[in-house]
Amino acid sequence: MNILTTDFFFSIIRIATPILLATLAAVIGEKGGVSNIGLEGIMMMSALFGSLGAYWTGSWLAGLLIAAAFGIVEALLMGFFAFNLKTNIILVGTAINMIGSGGTIFLVKVITNSTMGQSLTSTTSLITKSLQIPSVQIPLIKDIPVIGPVISGHSVLTYLAFLLVWVTYVLLYKTPLGLNIRSVGENPNAASSVGVSVMKIRYITIGIGGLMAGLGGAYMSMYYAMGWSLDMVAGRGFIALAAQSMGGGEPVGSMLAALVFGFAQALGIKVSATGVDSNLVAPIPYIVTILSLVVFAINQRRREKKRHASALG
Amino acid sequence: MSKKNNTKFTIIRALAAMGIALLVAFLLILVSADGAGVGEKFSNSIKALREMLVSPLFRKNGTFSMKNFSDVLAGMIPIMFTGLATCIMFSANQFNLGAEGGIMLGAFVTAVVAIYAPFDGPLLMVAAVLAGGLAVAVMMLIPAVLKATLGVSEMVNSLMLNYVIMYVLNFLMNSYLADTSKGITQTYAFKEKALIPQMINNGSRLSWGFMVGIIMVVLCWLFMYRTRWGYGIRMTGINQPFMMYSGMNVPMIIIISQVLGGFLAGMGGGIEMLGRYNVYNWSALPGYGWTGITVAILSGNNPIFVPLAAFFMSYLTKGCTLMSTNANVPAQLISIIQAVIFIFFAAQQFLSRYRQKLVVKSAQEELAAKKAAEAGEGGNA
Repeated sequence: MNILTTDFFFSIIRIATPILLATLAAVIGEKGGVSNIGLEGIMMMSALFGSLGAYWTGSWLAGLLIAAAFGIVEALLMGFFAFNLKTNIILVGTAINMIGSGGTIFLVKVITNSTMGQSLTSTTSLITKSLQIPSVQIPLIKDIPVIGPVISGHSVLTYLAFLLVWVTYVLLYKTPLGLNIRSVGENPNAASSVGVSVMKIRYITIGIGGLMAGLGGAYMSMYYAMGWSLDMVAGRGFIALAAQSMGGGEPVGSMLAALVFGFAQALGIKVSATGVDSNLVAPIPYIVTILSLVVFAINQRRREKKRHASALG
Repeated sequence: MSKKNNTKFTIIRALAAMGIALLVAFLLILVSADGAGVGEKFSNSIKALREMLVSPLFRKNGTFSMKNFSDVLAGMIPIMFTGLATCIMFSANQFNLGAEGGIMLGAFVTAVVAIYAPFDGPLLMVAAVLAGGLAVAVMMLIPAVLKATLGVSEMVNSLMLNYVIMYVLNFLMNSYLADTSKGITQTYAFKEKALIPQMINNGSRLSWGFMVGIIMVVLCWLFMYRTRWGYGIRMTGINQPFMMYSGMNVPMIIIISQVLGGFLAGMGGGIEMLGRYNVYNWSALPGYGWTGITVAILSGNNPIFVPLAAFFMSYLTKGCTLMSTNANVPAQLISIIQAVIFIFFAAQQFLSRYRQKLVVKSAQEELAAKKAAEAGEGGNA
């Protein structure tokens, strides 16, 4: 089995894109002290409404924007419960995930029943080629051997996702807003004592995360698969949390972690193509997540010990 | 605030959360109801809501339906166990969400033992359920030990394990255990004597596992509120650094809480399997773990309230199922109702202004009573 084909590396990027978008949401959230485990549910919801929006408006761009808007609204709603009503944010996230799995199937049945007269359990019949997020060939780069076929020809959203890595970095480290986000994350009392509105910053933090998770959801239903189906996000929102901590909470490191997950899953698809039971291959990304969290934690322990040792010496 | 007022507040808060959830449910039903005009839609929605709230207990003509009621009780069995599991884990502040995978693994291991064990008899029933519980307890060592020793998030790990369990079990079913003479993927039948006897033979599948569940509720309550380890678990949840500085073995408490939770979830899976089915045929996560989290939140992590919360959730689930067959509203409405109740229950500041008013009022009453008493004493002197 030859895995080192350009197709294989192309598929890593394709698979890593939604994980990367959710990972960036997790990175910004953790920097601002908001651990959002509802990313999974937000992605599900946005995937559904993105595909429905694209179908209604007849435009993929409108669908994408609707998905993003839904992501933001849901995240702000989470913020209301977490920050205003002081609900444990993990529980808020769990509730959002409940709506994301069972609630979406209710919504899709009801919505399609009232708009089309038949209740569908997925929107896979609604997204046609023209409603898919378009992919682009990058001029010049596409002609470079080896690199060209890997990097060129992805969806618009994939390039946007990698661009957002850079945007996230700049936002967090080069803007006043980023400074506020980080200071609220590190010490909300200190931030509040110098006049930063902790509440406002937290809402902005979770809102940006919702936007990115919403884009990730749109990618799932409007590019990765043609339309929404039940539980299609399949834990990517959770894997993103793992990628965030593996990447040390930094945008670039977390991007690399997201690519590792893309690699694991692409490898799985490759292996199952050789006739191995897909049930044996499907858990690979989840096992990789656990193993990499362990390796990361051991490494961090060692680094801390070293730091302590040198401080003492 | 006085104890009486505190209870009053808790009850009012619970009722308000349920009220809001029902209101949301009603609005969603209204959107999805059949009917031409607004009036017709409205009356259909009322009918659907009535169906959801009343039909789990009463027939159309208003008489009590034992069948539906025993269905509700039977539905409580798995979520009582996952609810208890989650109670114990959440009490120690361990956000382990692995009861979902745990109940599936427990069901599977119990099923395998009940099919392939070399002996038969009532002992097999007990052995199979215990095997299911132990398997999940061992599985929970993974997130528990990693959390206690390396500080790795038990939440992410347990979520990942849910998926791993589902796929690996499906693989084992497809490759080794499935009865290939059947059209669908299922195992061979369990041994006759491994099946848990039924309490009522009306097709509800209400097995004696229900009573085992109630006994476990009492045992868990005793453990949590009457033993040193239970105290340790609760205190670790409230103030972990304090427990550490006062010399308790906190890593051990973290591990024990999750292993116990795993055991309960696995046991629940085993009892559900032997009480309701005679072959294993699950191919996806059953969702009982998530409902168990709701049950734990509704019961305030106190095992003694788990049956009440489980009854409530089972009642609503049954109501939604009946509503979907009789009133054409999708049964998955339950997920949304569940999430709404869940989130308002968990919201600490929900109705906090009202609580503040109650506190002020009771303080004023106390002061007035004191003054009156003083005045009375003064009069006597």
